[in-house]
Amino acid sequence: MRLFWLPTSDETDMSQLLQAAWGGVLAGSVYGLMAIGLTLIWGAVRLLNLAHGALYVAGAYAAWIVIDLGMPLAVGIPAAVIAAGALGYGMHATIIRPMLGRPGWDSATIIATVGVAIALQAAILLVFGPRVKQIPAVIPGSTVISSVRISYQGLVIVLVAVVSLAALFFYLRSSRQGMAIRAISQHMDAAALMGVPVQRTYALVMVISAGLAGLAGVLLSSVLFLSPTSGFTPMIIALLVTIFGGLGSVKGTIVAAYLIGILESSVQVYLGGAWALPALFIFIIFMLIVRPSGLFGVPEARRL
Amino acid sequence: MTTSDSISPRAADLIDRAAAPWRSPKWGAISSLGVFALILPAVLLRFGAGTFMVHLLISFFLWSVVAQSWNLVLAVSGIYSFAQIALFAVGGWVTGVLSMSFGWNPWLSLALAPIVTTVAALIIGLPSLRLRGVYMVLLTLAFHELLRNYVTTGPRVISGGGYGLIGVPRLDPGPLSGFSHLVPSYYLALIFFTVATFAIWWVFQSPIGVAFAALRDSEGYAVGRGVDQFRIKLFLFGFSAFFTGLAGGLMTHYLGSISQSIFAFSVLINVLAMIVIGGWGSFGGPIVGTALLLGLQEGLRDLSDFRTLVLGLALTSVAVLAPSGLWPIVRDGFRDFLDESADVEAESEGGRALLADIGDGSGNDSSPQSATPD
Repeated sequence: MRLFWLPTSDETDMSQLLQAAWGGVLAGSVYGLMAIGLTLIWGAVRLLNLAHGALYVAGAYAAWIVIDLGMPLAVGIPAAVIAAGALGYGMHATIIRPMLGRPGWDSATIIATVGVAIALQAAILLVFGPRVKQIPAVIPGSTVISSVRISYQGLVIVLVAVVSLAALFFYLRSSRQGMAIRAISQHMDAAALMGVPVQRTYALVMVISAGLAGLAGVLLSSVLFLSPTSGFTPMIIALLVTIFGGLGSVKGTIVAAYLIGILESSVQVYLGGAWALPALFIFIIFMLIVRPSGLFGVPEARRL
Repeated sequence: MTTSDSISPRAADLIDRAAAPWRSPKWGAISSLGVFALILPAVLLRFGAGTFMVHLLISFFLWSVVAQSWNLVLAVSGIYSFAQIALFAVGGWVTGVLSMSFGWNPWLSLALAPIVTTVAALIIGLPSLRLRGVYMVLLTLAFHELLRNYVTTGPRVISGGGYGLIGVPRLDPGPLSGFSHLVPSYYLALIFFTVATFAIWWVFQSPIGVAFAALRDSEGYAVGRGVDQFRIKLFLFGFSAFFTGLAGGLMTHYLGSISQSIFAFSVLINVLAMIVIGGWGSFGGPIVGTALLLGLQEGLRDLSDFRTLVLGLALTSVAVLAPSGLWPIVRDGFRDFLDESADVEAESEGGRALLADIGDGSGNDSSPQSATPD
């Protein structure tokens, strides 16, 4: 995904480096929001949610409606989170709750979430049409620091993402619900026997994860364009990030998001935008051969 | 204890028939279906709309092989590979480029298509088949995307300037050249469908199919009994790629073109829906699903956007509410025609006979009762 500009030939090495770093931090923040949702669901529910990209798009469109009604983006962002969160709850009620404990959970849930992704995308296409939309910036304008253009919107994105990720991290570490989520990720049966409400915690995880996807959607759509299918590439990159970080590991995912962001941004700056995705894929394939469980993942013979 | 020594000849015969159904083919059903399929174009082409029906049948023959082989990979062996359409495209592009730009005889380039596709599948499979689930999803989607990129922006011989291959020569029909090209295409697709379906059916019944059933039911026990997961997964991956690549090649020569639109997500979803709605993991499911979805596709052509919505909802509903899909219903409906009921009875009768034999064989020293010390 090309987040920003391509370098011109007369730029110095230093500014290229800065550009790569800034682009990496910006991209990494958004990927972190996307990937943390995927990894939470994977860790707690053992579900590969291929509808994550559709939730991203749904959140962004919810914000677009709110802004189209004349309200500022400050209202649009919560609207996106709430809309996506509600969809996440719907997925819990219609897919996870009825299917839990049935044989063939892995394949059936993958199919079910693919179905949700297609239906959601088609519904958005029917309602809003195929034309691309753009979400305005919170604070328009930009500043130039040693020949690297940094938009205020970019700073807002990084700030919102970092605050959300930090809040989530402490929520998971310290709050009662956070501990319940972690307990279920570690051992569902034991957690249930200790009185952790499994279904309610699953619903909570789905809502949090979908809300984060919606947040990522509205933030990234203010930099990129928004179309019914624009969630696919962010979802693929979020998958790469989760795998790189080690499935189910929150800390690993955050570290991996920034590493992948910087890697992608460097490839874009030094080799050109078309190489970003192939380079990431080759990197991940190599990584999987060398260290199949990711940066912080627990090695496990069986996965999914 | 060896089976043949300790059970009655009648039970052994019934068990053998259940274990190797190809030894007792149902000639009546097969020959009537065969005759019907052979004379169908002669009847259909007399009507105005028949041309389109024949086209639809050819599409059915080719796509149902793709769906069947993907079903083998995805549902039977549990490899979450989304590379099937990419492999289909490999087959199409290989024969298309060779026959169009390099002037090969289409039959020769068509013969090369499945081989190249199988090699491509083995190259993807070797590093990735030891990994599971989510990794496989990602790596195969990556292959799909990278291939799409390559055939869009690659050399002009391959990309056709972004339009794909247009004007791929048709296969030389030989003795059938007097007819419209639909007739030889129909018979070629029919032969291909028959051979591929039989091969896939054979895999379902073969030791490989049994090994996968064992892996599904109890992985630890199956591995303990010496089932080599990696080897048979690699075999199935290559096997399904062979037929998928050949289907891609046949489709390219039949349509005379192949373009980048084959990589559209909707194509992938369509084939996936054929498998899921028809019956995930069953032998006949993908065939039923292909027939249903191709029919719906033509019936609902005007409602294209709603069709995608309905397809998505159908995928989710089937996965949640009826995981075995339509196949059980269809199978029960056609059981009388296919004369399978007799076999089911034979199987259970064989089982009862076997049980009775084991119960009677009291002097057998391998029975658990006699092994326990008194």
